[in-house]
Amino acid sequence: MAYSSKVIDHYENPRNVGSLPKDDPNVGTGLVGAPECGDVMKLQVKINPATKVIEDAKFKTFGCGSAIASSSLATEWLKGKTVDEALAIRNTDIVTELSLPPVKIHCSVLAEDAIKAAISDYRKKQGAAAAAVDQAAQPPA
Amino acid sequence: MTDYFTFLGLSRKLGIDVQELDRRYRALSRQFHPDYFHNASPGERRVSLERSSYLNDAYRTLKNPITRIEYLLKLEVGSPQGSDDPQSDAAQLKHGTPLPGRKPPASLLEEVFALNEELGEIREMRDRGAAPEEWQARLERAQQPIEAKRIAHEAEIAALSSQWDAAIDRDAPLDHRHAILEALGDRFLERNYISNLLLGIERELGVEPSALGN
Repeated sequence: MAYSSKVIDHYENPRNVGSLPKDDPNVGTGLVGAPECGDVMKLQVKINPATKVIEDAKFKTFGCGSAIASSSLATEWLKGKTVDEALAIRNTDIVTELSLPPVKIHCSVLAEDAIKAAISDYRKKQGAAAAAVDQAAQPPA
Repeated sequence: MTDYFTFLGLSRKLGIDVQELDRRYRALSRQFHPDYFHNASPGERRVSLERSSYLNDAYRTLKNPITRIEYLLKLEVGSPQGSDDPQSDAAQLKHGTPLPGRKPPASLLEEVFALNEELGEIREMRDRGAAPEEWQARLERAQQPIEAKRIAHEAEIAALSSQWDAAIDRDAPLDHRHAILEALGDRFLERNYISNLLLGIERELGVEPSALGN
């Protein structure tokens, strides 16, 4: 099967490969997998606590060229977006940008799932941190 | 509406007597073979051709124990869009998940991810010119837990298959049968991750990949 030139470009020169500190309260981590092919994808976002804008995004994917390209593109798009804007990214946007064939659409779905998982992890951490602050603020009984 | 089991005159059990399957396949092939229909009407010729090709799909799918289970899951649990055309089901089996909407456990994904990273490091080590004993030993260490998991998985799939057959024999209630299928489906969700990892390791070790994938 022929990959599009954009897929090959992302595959050969993946953007933002790597990882961010998992325990940082401003970092959200999403780890997702595709049972159809056994691919795994980790995507992380770092959110600026003051502006709530994604200031950094990293990924690491073990899988086919399309899965790597989908996550590489996703990290490129994520930087500079707010959390809500990030959640508005659809897998179909990735399919269009990379000209993915029908058999590779699940790779773009995986990238969308990874974004959602990363943001949900970030929100969970923020919620937990807020709860901890509330608890600390309680006067001792 | 027929299915592969019914078409071959078998009950929907996973333990299939392969010799019996071969015998039925040969008998039906003779019956439907297009060569016997070359003097028949165009309609009859078309039907014989369709039946032959359905028979071949049925035989191929049921002969292999893995595709047999995948097919049973499709039949019993169905696809979300409710495609009840067994022909297209056979095509979907190659890329579809047995139980749509279910996800592998997070712990498995973490394990798979970590092992993939370990494989990457071993590859770098080798490329830097480390002694073969050194990286091979590390690779074999990485292989052990996943190989153990594969063996455990196969045993679980075998046990669940026997449970399914026993449930069919005693006509067990639907929810009991569904629980067995769900457990089988979960094992199949994890199967590709385990196969891929082992294939990756075997490739690094320079071993000919065994028949893990399908």
